[in-house]
Amino acid sequence: MSENKEQFFELQNLTVQYHSGNSIIHAVNDVSLSLNAGETLGLVGETGAGKTTIAKSILQILPKNSVENVEGKILFEGKDILQMSDKELQSIRGKAISMIFQDPMTALNPVKTVADQIAEGYRLHQGCSRAEAKEHALSMLKMVGIGPDRANEFPHQFSGGMKQRVVIALALACSPRLLLADEPTTALDVTIQAQVLDLIKDLRDKLGTAMILITHDLGVVADVCDNVAVIYAGRIIEKGSREDLFDHPTHPYTCGLFAALPDLEKNVNRLSPIEGLPPDPSVLREGCDFKERCPYTCRKCDEYNNEMIEKTQGHFVRCWRAAASEQELAEAPRHDGSHHRGGHHGKEHHGREV
Amino acid sequence: MAALMEVQNLKKYFKSHAGMVHAVDDITLSIEEGKTLGLVGESGCGKSTLGRTLIHLNESTEGRIIFQGKDVTRLKGKEMKAFRNDVQMIFQDPYSSLDPRQTVSDIIKEPMKLLGTMSSNEVEERTIELMDTVGIEKRLRMSYPHELDGGRRQRVGIARALALKPKFIVCDEPVSALDVSIQAQIINLLMDLQDNMGLTYLFITHDMSVVKHISHQICVMYLGQMVELCDRDELFAHPLHPYTKALLSAIPTVDIHKKKQRILLKGEIKSPIDPGQECRFCSRCVYADESCRQGVKLCEVRPGHMVACNKAAEINQL
Repeated sequence: MSENKEQFFELQNLTVQYHSGNSIIHAVNDVSLSLNAGETLGLVGETGAGKTTIAKSILQILPKNSVENVEGKILFEGKDILQMSDKELQSIRGKAISMIFQDPMTALNPVKTVADQIAEGYRLHQGCSRAEAKEHALSMLKMVGIGPDRANEFPHQFSGGMKQRVVIALALACSPRLLLADEPTTALDVTIQAQVLDLIKDLRDKLGTAMILITHDLGVVADVCDNVAVIYAGRIIEKGSREDLFDHPTHPYTCGLFAALPDLEKNVNRLSPIEGLPPDPSVLREGCDFKERCPYTCRKCDEYNNEMIEKTQGHFVRCWRAAASEQELAEAPRHDGSHHRGGHHGKEHHGREV
Repeated sequence: MAALMEVQNLKKYFKSHAGMVHAVDDITLSIEEGKTLGLVGESGCGKSTLGRTLIHLNESTEGRIIFQGKDVTRLKGKEMKAFRNDVQMIFQDPYSSLDPRQTVSDIIKEPMKLLGTMSSNEVEERTIELMDTVGIEKRLRMSYPHELDGGRRQRVGIARALALKPKFIVCDEPVSALDVSIQAQIINLLMDLQDNMGLTYLFITHDMSVVKHISHQICVMYLGQMVELCDRDELFAHPLHPYTKALLSAIPTVDIHKKKQRILLKGEIKSPIDPGQECRFCSRCVYADESCRQGVKLCEVRPGHMVACNKAAEINQL
């Protein structure tokens, strides 16, 4: 991830705030990301961490009446999406950038046949004839494994997995250069999920599409992504290559996520949950967001300026412990005055530390 | 250990305009006291219907459900009421299974009030005790469900299920709606409660790693029928049914270095409306042949390991 002027896609200090009643909800705080053409980035986080808000701000489809403020830059092929006119946006949405929505049951128009829905967008962007658009729609459906005999059926006649295929065909119809997939398999069963993930991987490789995959499922990320960013309370707390994240998870939150997963390979008697709850999004905090839940929290955390630290090349962590030496970690002064207990939590995640 | 609940040839059909929906078709199993039976399968395969039928929320179409030696399907009046006290359910969605107009303490009190054998002081005391057991702070007593997060709401649902000191609890996807970090808290809680109170669970889920963690025995369902039933470790070490194999191979894991041999299933699950006698998996199965269209029988292929597949011995070289 070099500082290249012609970066394919980049988020710079994106901040999104909603208003709710009298309070401001800080949904996304100062998020910076970059993506090369053809690359897949996994965006992982819990409910309410701000994953979907990021995707929606990229396409500028945030609910206008509840957004308080959007700051930062969203650079797509060098142009800032936030500065674009409606007309420019129209030409990008669904064509250069498109999105697979989480819930296939509600993402489709119930009163149009699936082929017509795909043809509609294609005709709009390509300006071709109805017949051509329909033909293209049929070929898209064929690519996702739906035959022409079912193309003129309505969404309610399809099962969940088939509907998600239609949504994927719809998103890929105009050969987008960037695909935003928001929890594309969460609503599906494991066997169907495996089918859909294989399909997405296949199509991505065939068409060379870059992708941002939003999910809370670390297993899906391990399967599909080149790079991973972990987001907590609207902030990226760790990012790096897939190997960085899965072999050397460093931020206590990331380690906690791994430890909380039941492991198929091993028999453990007790899971290690992350105690506590995510912080209130209506309060903007100084310093580390994870402080209250962190098993390693200490007085040094109060001094830490919450900057990202580059642990190894390309592997960024928002925790002072990432750059600290063994000795500093051992001597970290705890709030109660004692020293750290040592490997109580986190670090012992499945013993995959190399 | 004796079986707390035994199910013999249980069937539950629903009428629909297109024919009979075979939601649960000829299930025979037993659950030992103090143990957990995990029930896995795809959405729509009849897991929840089986769970609801077991505790008589649905009337069964055919078959027997024996709970502590008595046939539940024939219970009436007082006996039925006593049975209702002994069995409880924890629901999937903590957002819609709690009355939005009741406070936390009202929700937990309701079953005790309905039973009507406790004085109001006792009910009050028991409520506080239950909140403590499931880990809800006392200050939240007067809160409404919408003020709580998903994990706490699920704890309220659990406290309500425990109120009458049941013996058997059907947990219908109790953690699917929760985030990973919260999910682990609830799973730990459920396992602690089982250890302390000797509860028996039917644990319904589609998440194989969760079911492996919590169950003693696992039953795999496909389209209303049981395709495989055995101990947990046996299932994960030697899955015998082609569907179970595909299911296990499809689980995404966080180990990026392990090469996975994924068995991809072709096609979609077929309709449960009047499915006929053929093996219900045969349209997606790579091993299926003519004999599978004649129907299948559940057989004990290895000790304690039941499989409904004609080809199980052949495929697995047993």
